[in-house]
Amino acid sequence: MITALGRLTALLGALATPLHAAEPNRGGSLVYAYLSGPGTLDPHVASSLVELEVIHHLFEPLVAIDNNYNARPVLASKIETSADATVFTFTLRKGVKFHNGKEMTSADVLASFERYRKVSPNASVLADVDGFETPDPYGFVIRLKKPNAVFVDVLKSPVYPFEILPAEQKDKAAREIDIIGTGPFMLGEWVKDSHLVIKRFDGYVPDESAPGPDGLAGRRTAYLDQVRYNFVPEANARVAALQTGNADVIGDVPRDLAKRFDGQANITTQQIFPYCMQVFVVNTQAAPTTNPLVRQAIEAVVNIDDITGAMGQISRPGHSLVYASSPYYQGDAMKPYYDQRNPAKAKELLKQAGYNGEKIVLQTNSNYPNFRDAILVLSEQMKDAGFNVAVDIVDWTTNASNMQRGTGVWNVSTTGYCSNPLLGPQQWKVMFYTFPHVKDDHVLDAAYDAFYASLDPQKRIAAWADIEKRVLEQAYMIKIADMGTMRSYNAAKVVNFMPYYIVHFWDVWLK
Amino acid sequence: MQSIPVLLLVAVLSFILMHLLPGDPAVVIAGADATPAAVERIRRELGLDQSIWRQLLSWFLNLAQGKFGSSLVLNQTVLSAVGERLPVTLSLAALSLAITLPIGIALGILAAYFRSSWIDAGVMAIALIGVSAPSFWIAIVSVILFSVKLGWVPSAGYAPLLTAGPGAWFASLIQPAMVLSLFQIGFLARMTRSAMLDVLEQDFIRTARAKGVSEWRTVGKHGFRNALVAVVTVSGIILSLLIGGSVVVEQVFALPGIGRLVVQGIMARDYPLIQGTMLLFGFAFVLINVAVDIIYTLVDPRVRYD
Repeated sequence: MITALGRLTALLGALATPLHAAEPNRGGSLVYAYLSGPGTLDPHVASSLVELEVIHHLFEPLVAIDNNYNARPVLASKIETSADATVFTFTLRKGVKFHNGKEMTSADVLASFERYRKVSPNASVLADVDGFETPDPYGFVIRLKKPNAVFVDVLKSPVYPFEILPAEQKDKAAREIDIIGTGPFMLGEWVKDSHLVIKRFDGYVPDESAPGPDGLAGRRTAYLDQVRYNFVPEANARVAALQTGNADVIGDVPRDLAKRFDGQANITTQQIFPYCMQVFVVNTQAAPTTNPLVRQAIEAVVNIDDITGAMGQISRPGHSLVYASSPYYQGDAMKPYYDQRNPAKAKELLKQAGYNGEKIVLQTNSNYPNFRDAILVLSEQMKDAGFNVAVDIVDWTTNASNMQRGTGVWNVSTTGYCSNPLLGPQQWKVMFYTFPHVKDDHVLDAAYDAFYASLDPQKRIAAWADIEKRVLEQAYMIKIADMGTMRSYNAAKVVNFMPYYIVHFWDVWLK
Repeated sequence: MQSIPVLLLVAVLSFILMHLLPGDPAVVIAGADATPAAVERIRRELGLDQSIWRQLLSWFLNLAQGKFGSSLVLNQTVLSAVGERLPVTLSLAALSLAITLPIGIALGILAAYFRSSWIDAGVMAIALIGVSAPSFWIAIVSVILFSVKLGWVPSAGYAPLLTAGPGAWFASLIQPAMVLSLFQIGFLARMTRSAMLDVLEQDFIRTARAKGVSEWRTVGKHGFRNALVAVVTVSGIILSLLIGGSVVVEQVFALPGIGRLVVQGIMARDYPLIQGTMLLFGFAFVLINVAVDIIYTLVDPRVRYD
């Protein structure tokens, strides 16, 4: 699972991280202003970035993503996969302590996985588990009913993370656990809607086998006494907080507001790529987009520059559903489906489809301006090609519910995906089927079966090529762009704040 | 006794309006990456798969036992969620009212006394700006001026009175309270002016002046005392609005108050939270109305409740 190349690049990344910086200082308090606070810190049910940003400081899984988003052991010291990819044996690190002082053993790992199966919205990924075993206090075995060559990659997911909790939490309902993990920080004060404080856990046992931090894994060190997350929903107020010294780091800085830092030498702004990916989602269960030709016609009219120009966020064009650094990247193979700017082709496809001016509803929301603007531009591009388009603007909750449950009246919508393109095929699967409401696509089903069953990485890459081609060719999803995000910090005070998909404060210190 | 049907109506309306909104709290709770099966499981666990009438009946049965229910997403009861945020909103409302009442009333009296003069025009222009300018814009301009440029007050956040001390508490609230007051001052000044104009043209004012009573006493005691009923009514409305929470001001200044709680509850379709909060608001408004009615009897001896 963890390739030599992956280890090497991770090692280089980790080595590169602290070397350029001065000797770390221990102590101090850092204030981070972000747009909202977590709803829950129960890792097994957490999926939003605001929750995950805190959770990955408090808890640790068996494996996590490294700098290159590959799987890397965290609480495991060794992972062995049987030749037929049905038995996975994890050797646990010894002496790792929970925040309550108790040592983490295989009993805790077993209890955590059993709880995950009961409470997590992501529990379906454990559907093929035949059983868990704990041969000794530092050994944990997962047996599957059928081969899954990427099972360890499933476990590295930073979304609904497989964090290890003390065994006593096993029967706690969703959102009702005590916040006790093995992470480098522990929970301090948490005032909902206001702020949350994490404090350094002095009993933390880092992964000594790693030379330094590596994504969410590696040898992580907490230098700061505490980090205070202030929840500041208004972007202008976050920018003002950094300018006035009320915050040291701020997240989600709009492109236009970042200009306010011009001339302020102490403030550094990072552009984070890769971050999320925005796509149009096409409903396969609502006429007339039940017809693949109509979906392909929509795909044919898309002009990406016009859309990203209107969205007001930093972005980069990209035709693939994974990033170029991914082993699953297919080069230019998927380019023909992207940014076609071809209304003539769309008209021809509509003619073949027998399209007769049936209304196509583009639904979006008022909460995320980039989603709304993308839909508005698409609606104009579709009108030019002869579509009968209606735009429906609702709130995000309605929009998301409609996409997820197939309710409401809509044919096209748009959303962003963050972890899915970073982690690739296994992370994408639920979304490929759920949002476009794909049913009875035997080509896609067969490609995914081949993906999971292939023990040869090259065959998995080939299976992903079939999956990605099917999704784009059938226009279940239409790629818009790779979206970035901007974070700013006071460089006169904060040292070693590294750009990464998830904000983290281990190995960060104050001058 | 009128308040009981009012509260019942509030309870039924808040329930029905929330459930009429499209969108599913189970989707919010499960998260965007959840499978449809996981969403359905959460719907069942929350009882959202039952009919709306069954859910309404269940909510009323709980209310009858004094239970406002628990938030679907906050992992706490509605009462504790509101209780945590109430000090913030009450602090903001009290400070804002303390700024609004003297300034709004004084400006209204001044405008009425110097009616049709440049003072009247100036006061009414300020009032018009206060009522018309979006508080969102005023808040941002205020932050840039008073926090970023002058550095007088923090840009955002709330410092609790008991733990952070009165100085920090005041510093965290004075700017949002001023921004919030601007609208209320404009509203109160216009209403006070209108009430005072009616009173200042009455015969008893002319009589007082003819008797040689000082202008201060004529306007302040005889005039304002008679305009006070209208002013009290408007102040009651203002207090109701303030306790309802200012969503925009709480949002810009990152104050963890009731306004933000309600907005987030609506966004998450947190039915019990919104229903419970609306009912508590309804109760607060009824109380304020009762208080206003009692104050009428103090400011106007002709008003009697038998």
